[in-house]
Amino acid sequence: MTDRPAHLSDQRDAETYQICVRGHLDAAWAARLSVPSLTHETDSTTTLRGIAADQAALHGLLQRVRDLGLTLVSVVHIDPTTNLSFNPPVNSKRPK
Amino acid sequence: MGRGTKSKLTLISAPAGFGKTTLLAEWLANSASGRAVAWLSLDQTDNDLATFWSHLVAALQAATGAAGAAFTDLLPVGPKPDEAFLAKLLNVLGDVSGDLDLVLDDFHVIDQRSIEEGLSFLLEHLPSNIHLVMSTRADPALALGRLRARGELIEIRSGDLRFIPEEVTAYINGSMRLGLTAQDITVLGGRTEGWIAALQLAVLSLEGRNDATAFIEGFAGSDRYIVDYLVEEVLQRVPDEIRHFLFCSCFLERLSGSLCDAVIGSSGGKAMLDALDRQNLFIVPLDDRRQWYRYHHLFADVLRAHLPDEVRNELPTLHRRAADWYEEQGDRPEAISQVLAGGDFERAAELMEMAIPDVQKARGEAIIRNWMRALPTELVRARPVLGMGFVGALAALGELGEVEGRLGDIERGLAAFSGGDARSSLAHRVVVIDTTQLPRMPGAMELYRTALAQVRGDIPRMIYHAERVLALAQPDDHVSRAAGSSLLGIAYWSAGNLEQARRLWSDGRDGLEHATHIADVLGVSVALADISIAQGHLVEAKQVYDHALELAAAQGVQVLRGTADMYAGLAALSLQQGELQIAHQHLQKCHELGEVAGLPQHPYRWRVAAAHLRQSEGNLEGAVALLDEAVRLYVGDFFPNVRPVAATRARVWIAQGRLGDATRWQRETGVGIDDELSYLREFEHITLARLLIAKNETGGVSSAFLARLLDQATSGDRVGSIIELSVLQALALRTSDAAGSFLALEKALSLAEPEGYVRLFAEEGEPMAALLRLAVKRRIVPTYAQRLLAAVGQPRGRPQVHPDLIEPLSERELDVLRLLRSDLGGPEIARELSVSENTMRTHTKNIYEKLGVNNRRSAVRRAEELNLLGRNSPH
Repeated sequence: MTDRPAHLSDQRDAETYQICVRGHLDAAWAARLSVPSLTHETDSTTTLRGIAADQAALHGLLQRVRDLGLTLVSVVHIDPTTNLSFNPPVNSKRPK
Repeated sequence: MGRGTKSKLTLISAPAGFGKTTLLAEWLANSASGRAVAWLSLDQTDNDLATFWSHLVAALQAATGAAGAAFTDLLPVGPKPDEAFLAKLLNVLGDVSGDLDLVLDDFHVIDQRSIEEGLSFLLEHLPSNIHLVMSTRADPALALGRLRARGELIEIRSGDLRFIPEEVTAYINGSMRLGLTAQDITVLGGRTEGWIAALQLAVLSLEGRNDATAFIEGFAGSDRYIVDYLVEEVLQRVPDEIRHFLFCSCFLERLSGSLCDAVIGSSGGKAMLDALDRQNLFIVPLDDRRQWYRYHHLFADVLRAHLPDEVRNELPTLHRRAADWYEEQGDRPEAISQVLAGGDFERAAELMEMAIPDVQKARGEAIIRNWMRALPTELVRARPVLGMGFVGALAALGELGEVEGRLGDIERGLAAFSGGDARSSLAHRVVVIDTTQLPRMPGAMELYRTALAQVRGDIPRMIYHAERVLALAQPDDHVSRAAGSSLLGIAYWSAGNLEQARRLWSDGRDGLEHATHIADVLGVSVALADISIAQGHLVEAKQVYDHALELAAAQGVQVLRGTADMYAGLAALSLQQGELQIAHQHLQKCHELGEVAGLPQHPYRWRVAAAHLRQSEGNLEGAVALLDEAVRLYVGDFFPNVRPVAATRARVWIAQGRLGDATRWQRETGVGIDDELSYLREFEHITLARLLIAKNETGGVSSAFLARLLDQATSGDRVGSIIELSVLQALALRTSDAAGSFLALEKALSLAEPEGYVRLFAEEGEPMAALLRLAVKRRIVPTYAQRLLAAVGQPRGRPQVHPDLIEPLSERELDVLRLLRSDLGGPEIARELSVSENTMRTHTKNIYEKLGVNNRRSAVRRAEELNLLGRNSPH
C-alpha cells in the first residue's frame, strides 16, 4: 500500500464539492486528505473546501472521513457558475 | 447478541473504533458450546468475487472439520462463481448438522456488487441452523428492510456500542484503576460520546497524571477533532525516543524488529515494539510469536498526518530503507510498494522488471497492471523488457486497448538497444535490466500482435503474425510456441482448413505437455477433439480426451480445470457411437466434478451433450430446454463458433416438426441458400438444408444447395460434414432419384463405418430405416447397416422411460423424497428429519427442480420411474 495521496484534481469528470465534518481538524489533515484547504467554523465544525473530484474520488474521500471516525455534517456540490467571491474566505484560520 | 442464534443475520454496523471485532470475539467465546463458528476476517484482497467465495468456503470447511469434507468439493472456486455455485454451496450447507455461525468481520472492505448479490442470494436461502454475522463500517446492500420486517435481522449499531456512563466508570476506574471522580467521568464520557477508541486514548493521556481534572476540563473545552487532541497529548507524554520511533515507523503497513531497525537506522526495534505492546500504544500483534505487528489504523493515520517536518523530509529515505530490507528478504512486491511510496520511479521500474516473471507465473496480472499505472509513461517507453511484461499482463486481462501502442514503443526501444538505430534519440537512455529476457522479445512481440489480430477478426493478419511467432520464438520457449501454434490453429480452423489446424494444435499440446502446463493441455485438447470430430475422426478424438485425462490424473489429488470438459466431450462421442449407457456415465462424472472443474465453455458444452442424450431418448422437449440454457450460457473463449447452439436447437425443432420456430431461427440468423459458403457457417447451412428437406422442398433447390455444400466440404476434406451431407442427400433424393440416393447412402456408410457413427443415421427414423434395409439386401457393409437399423428401431417420441437426471439427488434429498411418498405433511416430515420447515422447503424445491416437476405427486411418480427409491415402500 502506498501512502501517496491520490491527486483528486487529476480526474477528468471532476466537480467541485465541500464537505463539512464535526470538530476542528488540525490543518495538517489538508495535505493528508489531499484537499486544498480546510476552515474551522464557529459552530465547531470543519469545512474541507475546493475539493475537485469525480464520483469515485469523492466516495474515496468520504470513506477516509468514515474511517477516521469523523461525523459527517454535509456534502455540498459547488456550482461552477456561482461567483466564488460570495463564498466564505478560503483559509485554515478560524474566521473572525 | 445472544439472540443472534435465532435470527438469520446479525449486523454490527458502526464506525471505526467502536470495538466491533472485540464484541464479536467475546460473544463467540461466551456463546454456547456445540456451535460451530466459521470466521472470515476480510481485507482489501477479498474484494474479488472468486477470492471472496474461496475464502468463505475454506472458512466453512475449517469450522465444520471432518464433517465439512463436502466443502472441499467446492474448491477451487472458479473465476466466476455463479448461481450454480451458490446452489451447490447451499446444498452442502443444508447437510450441516447443528448450529453454525458464519462471521464476516470488516465487511466494509467489500464493495463488489456481485459479491453482495451472491451473499444476498445465500442469505435468502440459508438453512435455519446457519446464522450470518457481519461487522462493518457501512451497511451492506442486503435488503435489510425486508429482513427487518420479517424479524430476521438483529442490529447492533453505534448507538448500542457507545459506552454508557456506568460502562465508562467501570472501564476508567475498574479496568484501568484511574480513580477519577464521578464528575470527571461524566465530562469525559460526554466529550468522547462513549466512543471507545477515544476513551482508550484518553486513558493513555491520563495515566500517571496528578492533574486529571484539569486535563479533562481542557479536553472538554476544546473543539478540536478528538483524536488530534488526544494523540497530541499522548505523544507529548512519551519519551523522545518513543515519539521518534512512532513517527519514523507509522508509514509501515507491518512492523517487525528487524524491519524497524533497518528503517530507523538503529537497533532495539524489537524491544521497542514489545514496549509499545505492553503500554497498549495502539499496536496490534499479527502473529502468536509477536514477530509482526501493525499500528491501529486510526492511530497510524493520525501519526502520518502530523509528521514533524524533519521526519517528513526524511520519508523518501525511510521508504528506500524499507524497500532495501524487503528486497533482501526476497519480497520484491513489498519492496516495490515502498519504492513507489517514496517516489523513486527509476528504482521501482528496475525492481518490477526483475519481479514480473515470478508474478506472472503466480497469475498476478492485476498486480502488474497496478504497477504499470503507477509509473510515468516515458519511463516505461525506455524499458522494452518491462514494457513487454506490462503488455503480457494486459493481454492476460483481456485489456487490449493500449497494447498496440505499447508494442510499437517496445519495438523502437529494442531496436535502439541493440544498436540497430544508432541515430535514435532513444539509444542513449534505453534500459534493460533483465537481459535474460531479450531473446524472448521478438517471439513475444508477434504473439501479442497475433492476439490483437484475432480480437479484430482479421484472420490473414492473424496467420501472418502467428507464423512469425513460430519462426522467431526460441526453441525452448515452449509456452510462446504453444500459444503461437494454437493461435495459428484457430486461424486455420476458422478458415476451415482442418488438417493444418489439427497439426498446429497437436504441436501446441505437445509443447505444453513438455513444459508440464497440464491445465493448458486440457484446454487445447477441447479444440483438438472438436477439430478431429469435424474431420470425422471420432476414434482419434476419443484418444485426445483419454490422453488428457491420463495426464490430469497423474497430477495427483487436485482436480484440474478442464477435467469436466473431457468427460462432456466423451459423453457426446459415446452417444454418437450409440453407447447410451456410457454416455450417461460420462455425463454423471461431469456433474460429480461440477462446473468448477470446467473451462469457461463448459457450462454450455455439457448442456449441449446432455441435450443430445435427451433427444436420443425421445425427450425432445427436455433437449430444447437444455439448449435454451446453453444458448444463454455460450461464451466464445477465443474458439471460432463453428457449431452455434441456436442452430443445434433449430435442428431439434425440425425433429419435433416445429418448422415455424425453425423458420424463425433461419430469419434471425439470416442464412440463405444463395450465401457464399464458408466453414464458419457450414453448420448453419447444413441446418438450413435439413429445414428445407423437412419442408419437403426436395426439388431442385435443396438438391443443388446440398451439392454445393458437399463440394465445399470435400475440398476442405471435412469428412464429418461429408458423411452428414451424404446422409441428407440420400434422404432428399429418395423419392426422385433412387439410384442417386443409394449412391449417397453408400458413400456415407463407407466413410462412417470405421469411426462407428450411429446417431447420425439413427436420428433420421423410418426413411433412413428403409434405406438401410436396402443396403442390407444389397450386401453394402451389411453388418454395420444391420447395427444401424437396430438403433433406428428404437422408436422415439414416446414418453421417456429413463430420462437423464441432470443433477443427482443428495442423500438428504433422497431422505426427504422417501417421506414425500408417505402421507406425512410438510411440518411432520421436517420433524421426522429434525430439520426446520425452511430447510425442508429448500430440499423440496431442489428435488422438484432436479426431477423437472412442480408438485409432490409428480415428484413421487418421477422418482418411481427412475427407480430412485428402491422397491420397498417405507410406510
